[in-house]
Amino acid sequence: MTDTIAQGVTVTKTGDSGAFGGELLTVNFGPHHPSTHGVLRLIVELDGEQVRSLKPVIGYLHTGIEKQMEALRWQQGVTVTDRHDYLSPPINNLAYALAVERLMGVVVPPRADALRVIMSELTRLSSHLVWMGTSGLELGAMSMLMYCFRERDTILDMNEEISGFRMHTSYIRPGGVMADATPRFLEMLDQFICDMPGHVDEYENLLTNNPIWRARTIGIGRLSAEDAKVLGATGPMLRGSGVAWDLRKSMPYSGYENYDFEIATSDMCDCYGRYLVRIKEMREAVKILRQALDRLPDGPVNVDDRKMLPPPREELETSMEAVIHHFKLFTEGYSVPPGDVYVAVESGRGENGCYVVSDGTHKPRRVKFRSASFVNLQALEQMALNHMIADMVAIIGTADTVLGDCDR
Amino acid sequence: MISESLIVEEGVSAGDRWVTVDASSIRDALAELKKDGFTLLVFLTCVDHLADSSRQWPARYEVVYELRNLEKPEQIRVRTFIEGDPPHIDSVHDLFPPANWEERETYDMFGIVFNDHPDLSRILMPDDWVGHPLRRDYPVGGEVVEFSEEHETWQTPPEKA
Repeated sequence: MTDTIAQGVTVTKTGDSGAFGGELLTVNFGPHHPSTHGVLRLIVELDGEQVRSLKPVIGYLHTGIEKQMEALRWQQGVTVTDRHDYLSPPINNLAYALAVERLMGVVVPPRADALRVIMSELTRLSSHLVWMGTSGLELGAMSMLMYCFRERDTILDMNEEISGFRMHTSYIRPGGVMADATPRFLEMLDQFICDMPGHVDEYENLLTNNPIWRARTIGIGRLSAEDAKVLGATGPMLRGSGVAWDLRKSMPYSGYENYDFEIATSDMCDCYGRYLVRIKEMREAVKILRQALDRLPDGPVNVDDRKMLPPPREELETSMEAVIHHFKLFTEGYSVPPGDVYVAVESGRGENGCYVVSDGTHKPRRVKFRSASFVNLQALEQMALNHMIADMVAIIGTADTVLGDCDR
Repeated sequence: MISESLIVEEGVSAGDRWVTVDASSIRDALAELKKDGFTLLVFLTCVDHLADSSRQWPARYEVVYELRNLEKPEQIRVRTFIEGDPPHIDSVHDLFPPANWEERETYDMFGIVFNDHPDLSRILMPDDWVGHPLRRDYPVGGEVVEFSEEHETWQTPPEKA
């Protein structure tokens, strides 16, 4: 028996025994709720304050990115990949660029690989910083937002220096990267690497032993290692359950096998465990950045292929062939041999994959983004069941879903 | 590995190993692979080969399953081709739980009906949406703005534009 008492709120009387005599209250949580990290709607059945069932409803941020990719030429698609997981654009670029390169059989020069690693790790840091700032804010640690966004702004400044854009950089492209790192970028990066470990200590001082933070996260949102694997969770969700799986180690790409770093894991299997994993990952990311900067090889940052990338500006004035290549590239684009390929990279949220199908023309036949948020969100019900509704905020927060990534 | 009798075709594409199986034996093939250690369904999707002249395709819709063995680690892609309106294929949500939402998405975007799926409804598009947007015959930009009937005065009629 159900009664509608307001729009979207119904009272269901099931007759089960519970804190409120078996009355289940069905509540819409979201879609426009500040703690849903985007536009996520949850249909929650509450017994008193306890969650008895939960159904996520997604699609509010669906922008048809996969359809758009089919209408754009191969090199134009990069700008669209920036926009699905809007907290880690360079990592999305990387997955797409690696996929196109593997279909074309192209290997980028070592300096391009190193710059890709640098941008990936900076992005991972900025993604974790946004996560920590907003999650801290939701659970009552107001000052976290100010501290985290301070460092994130430094990273955005570096994005601007190297690519001209603060967020949607489109820096990593099939065939290499947009431009070489400027000397000022390398200086900024060096300074950042020196400062960042101290800042991570600051965050830890604020949160790790904070009694409120611990009370809100320890034992909340448990996800056992077995469940995490069965549900296909990746990233800090999986590592926070004690499974040492990181694509950078297990299936290395862009030369990650040459860097010395550890996989961050925690056996706590709860929200606090996922927090510890992210803190550790931030420290490891700084380690990788230091190694990448110290060993940054010299040389070109793009493949030397006029059929794939435009010729340098100065060549256009002297070489007829360069003009033809330039014209062909910007009117027709290049075509990619028929076939399909799947490339997965590790983003701040987990496995960020790109499945590309080419039919031999100058536009993709199909591009599928395998987004970590979409898969991780399916574990939400498992984690949130029988918790208080207030704990759902912590659980959604530490799952770190980006709804733009989820809905694409 | 999958028993030979199920494999229709196999090969390697850009370094990725793949096998094609018959649509009717997709569950058997995936169950065998799962028993073999390929426990993670990385993704499940569909490719529409409408007017694709790159080769002779057995059918219009290709359903793709990417599986991963986390221990080795290695990956395998399982393809199957289906035809029909709407095309039907067996659901694998009980073998691989992440397939639940992926199948809903594939239904939403391509109109592929997964038999025995517990809740085959639209997931990304609104419930009352007509058509399946990722089909190749679904136009880009051919959709009117939602709620446009409430704001008719905002739109310039074509003859005045």
